[in-house]
Amino acid sequence: MRWPWTKAETDLDREVRHHLDALADSYQKQGMSRAEAMRHARIDFGGVERFKDECRDESVWSWLANSLQDVRFGWRMMRKTPAITLAAVLSLALGIGATTAILSLADALLWKTIGAPAPEQLVEVLWESKARADGLMRGSSGSMFKDGAVRVADFFSNDGYKAMRARAAMLQGQVAAHNGSTVVSTSFAGRILVARVRPVSGNFFNLLQLQPFEGRLISDSDDTRGSSPVVVVTYRYWRQNLGADPAAIGKSMRINNTSYTIAGVLPPKFLGLVPGEETDLYTPIMQSPAFLDPESFVNKRFDDPMAWLMQVVARRPANLTEDQFRSQLDTAFATSWPAQPKNAESTPHVRISEASRGLGQMRRRFGDPVWMLLGLVSLVLLVACANIANLLLARAAQREKEVALRVSLGCSGGRLVRQFFTESVMLAAMGGALSIGVAWVLGLLMTNLVPQQFDGMTLNFEPNLRSLAGTAVVSLLTAVLFGLYPAWRTARVDSSTALKEGAGAGGTVSKARWVPARLLVLAQVALGVLLVTSAIVFTSHLNELANRDTGFERGHSILFDVRPGEIGYKGDRLRQFYFDLEERLGRIPGVENVGLARTRPMRGGGYWDGVRKPGQTKELQTAVHHVNPAFFEALGVPIAAGRQLTPQEARTNAKVMVISEDLLKDLETTSPLGMQLEMSGASYTVVGVARQARYSGMHESPSVVYLPFDYERQSVTVVVRTSTPPIGALGAIRAAVKEMDRDLPLVDIFTMEQQISRTLQRERLFAWLCGSFGVLALVLCVVGLYGLMSHTTARRTPEIGIRIALGASRGDVLQQVLLEGMKLAIVGLVLGVPLAVYGTHLAETQKLLPEGPLPYAKLAAAIAILTISAIAAVLGPAIRASSVDPMRALRRG
Amino acid sequence: MSSKKTDLLQGTLDLLVLKMLAPAPLHGYGIAQKILLTSKQVLDVQQGSLYPALHRLERKGFVSSEWRESENGRMAKVYSLTKTGRKHLAEELEDWARYASAINWVLEA
Repeated sequence: MRWPWTKAETDLDREVRHHLDALADSYQKQGMSRAEAMRHARIDFGGVERFKDECRDESVWSWLANSLQDVRFGWRMMRKTPAITLAAVLSLALGIGATTAILSLADALLWKTIGAPAPEQLVEVLWESKARADGLMRGSSGSMFKDGAVRVADFFSNDGYKAMRARAAMLQGQVAAHNGSTVVSTSFAGRILVARVRPVSGNFFNLLQLQPFEGRLISDSDDTRGSSPVVVVTYRYWRQNLGADPAAIGKSMRINNTSYTIAGVLPPKFLGLVPGEETDLYTPIMQSPAFLDPESFVNKRFDDPMAWLMQVVARRPANLTEDQFRSQLDTAFATSWPAQPKNAESTPHVRISEASRGLGQMRRRFGDPVWMLLGLVSLVLLVACANIANLLLARAAQREKEVALRVSLGCSGGRLVRQFFTESVMLAAMGGALSIGVAWVLGLLMTNLVPQQFDGMTLNFEPNLRSLAGTAVVSLLTAVLFGLYPAWRTARVDSSTALKEGAGAGGTVSKARWVPARLLVLAQVALGVLLVTSAIVFTSHLNELANRDTGFERGHSILFDVRPGEIGYKGDRLRQFYFDLEERLGRIPGVENVGLARTRPMRGGGYWDGVRKPGQTKELQTAVHHVNPAFFEALGVPIAAGRQLTPQEARTNAKVMVISEDLLKDLETTSPLGMQLEMSGASYTVVGVARQARYSGMHESPSVVYLPFDYERQSVTVVVRTSTPPIGALGAIRAAVKEMDRDLPLVDIFTMEQQISRTLQRERLFAWLCGSFGVLALVLCVVGLYGLMSHTTARRTPEIGIRIALGASRGDVLQQVLLEGMKLAIVGLVLGVPLAVYGTHLAETQKLLPEGPLPYAKLAAAIAILTISAIAAVLGPAIRASSVDPMRALRRG
Repeated sequence: MSSKKTDLLQGTLDLLVLKMLAPAPLHGYGIAQKILLTSKQVLDVQQGSLYPALHRLERKGFVSSEWRESENGRMAKVYSLTKTGRKHLAEELEDWARYASAINWVLEA
């Protein structure tokens, strides 16, 4: 193949030869011999090679040709030292791959804007107060969190929302409302699916300035009582579940038990209001499945100024600052209160939170952990980069002779740096390309290890374009930073000493030369201590949590939800359905007990209330669970005293309760049975005491009261205890439910063990990621230490040869090399201890770990692991050094 | 050959080359001979230095080249002035004239 630059090269040759020939011809005519004529011709022409070289510099191809030459040469050099190359490329790929995976997660959660025009004007409207806003509010729906001493909440009364909306309209701004998303049953064209729906106000999409992809979006006229229900679907839902069919617009979809007209499809770029949450459907607030249920909180109390149940977003007018807008909304908010606050402490004030990247709930929950993961993974990357630098330094040292030769033959410093730079860019490119694969595998691993859905939220590890671009930048930076230093060093090499040193018999290497390499290995080991410790701490924390005593029997039970109320069962029919369900499932062979519960066990949250002894004012906060009689045996909670509920009590909603042991303790009584307790204005008789159990999650174990199950609830969680492995009974359970109603899906089917592991998602995520970071760091440290030691010893082979020839025993040499390596490792380990202690402390303040004494045992374990690995890493070079054949070593020198 | 030779002023080689090419296309050897003849062998141009200049002018688009058979039957790379090269030469000549007369004024004042 003829490259354009090889043609240019032959052309140049021919051109110059023509000139010389012509000159020589004229001299020959004057009577010179051909050789003499040629000599004169060359003198007249001047330095042939010099002018050729100057011509090459004028060529448009010169840059490319030189680069190609560099690349080819670099490739040859890399193949000469395959171990170093492989180690460098793998270090880079692993480090950058892990970083990409975490960057993708962080991007999805923290940085991506929600995909609406002018997102910087979007704000979330919240309120804050120092004390409870008593007298203004009775009943709320939404979320509340503490920011230092103040409580911040995201709910407003309908009046409050309307006041702010009117004020914003006067200022050319916009305010819209939405409600928390819920899971509903949908049916379209005979297919029954579970979907997540978010109710929004009529102006919501107008505020977001979204244009429909198909059909139309929700408008104000849809968001009224009695209008015909419409639903807007996301682009993803439309693709996945409606066959991407434009004809689906205008058709009807059943949501719970109401028929909705599909109005339109949202644009593909709209990612939803809450990062990570996969909302499928949007309905008007006043046509939402919750609102259409006459028994629901939102329906009954929608216009009650004491019921705060609207979440609010706003678009800030361009001419107002955030604070000006905030104070305007605050004034409007205050006009909507049904009464005046008692004092300044309990007066709520509007607080505004920037929402270009969606609402803050998920960020508040996962933001800090993700930042911490980013911190950890960048440490891993740092360790990897130290490796690259070290390996490149080692190789540069190996090549000193070659470089010295090139310099003395006239290679310019710039060209030399360029050569080395090309090589590191090549390394970075290979590592970067491979890292995409690493990131992808890591993402796949993570999404499989960590249950996808977490209260409707998806953790997205898939490498996206932005994080890949980030990766490219990181690889290039690594190449520049860590490739140029060795290049610069090499280019400064004093060629005469280098040549002499290589050829001479001495072959000792001054210690100073290895100082940067030593420092890098020290830093690696120190960071290794931190990373390996956090790996151990987080995995053992997960282990401890997962194996905590739940207080109930974990094995052999399976949970699922059914929602008969959502497909039209009501009153007596609904009661009968539940009775049949208990009876039919109980008849299945292998099924021992069929428990029904209002709140799913091991799911967090739930329903809370205060109980008190008659005549006392002190209320005890406790979790309230509505269960059927068989529930205790189905879950496996033993009754410690008294009895469980009877079927009769359950079916008649009798005012009786079973309390947990710890509530008994809090009540400070020894004879609870028959005692009366008051809760929400009603009085209940205590009939039994159940063993303490972690009902809602592995983290805490609140006290519990169990009340009879209300057989007229729309939906229920069924807990089935089996004598055989529970998955085996699932087929029969499905068949039985289908026989009762073929339109009723079983939702969220999990064994109890699965349910428990779901509650530990955050911990599992952390444990796995930190665990893999720890392993990665360990591998990288070993590679780094091994690389450094094998290079220093290889360079010192002649010296070692002399020593052995002079009578040093092989044991002495072995010991010396081992000691030298271990000294380095031990200094690194010592430096790492405060780092690890600080890291653990940081994790505790971020509430990723329970506070406790310093984990000395775990730190010691980490140090032990690193020490053993360090010995293993140094042993190879040490053995090689001790088996040097003195004759060969000396001759080679 | 004359005993007294003058070194070429920095930057004037390009101008000379363009001027030599103005009447007719030439190859590198031809240009060298022509400079030697027309300068009455006063200007000392190292012949090899023509080539970097030619390649530079070609990259800038002032000259173009093609391989042709030369007088002695060998293939030679023959350079000719392009349109922009001709324009550039005119400008350069004007500049040079102004420059040279200015120097003359100063020296003869």
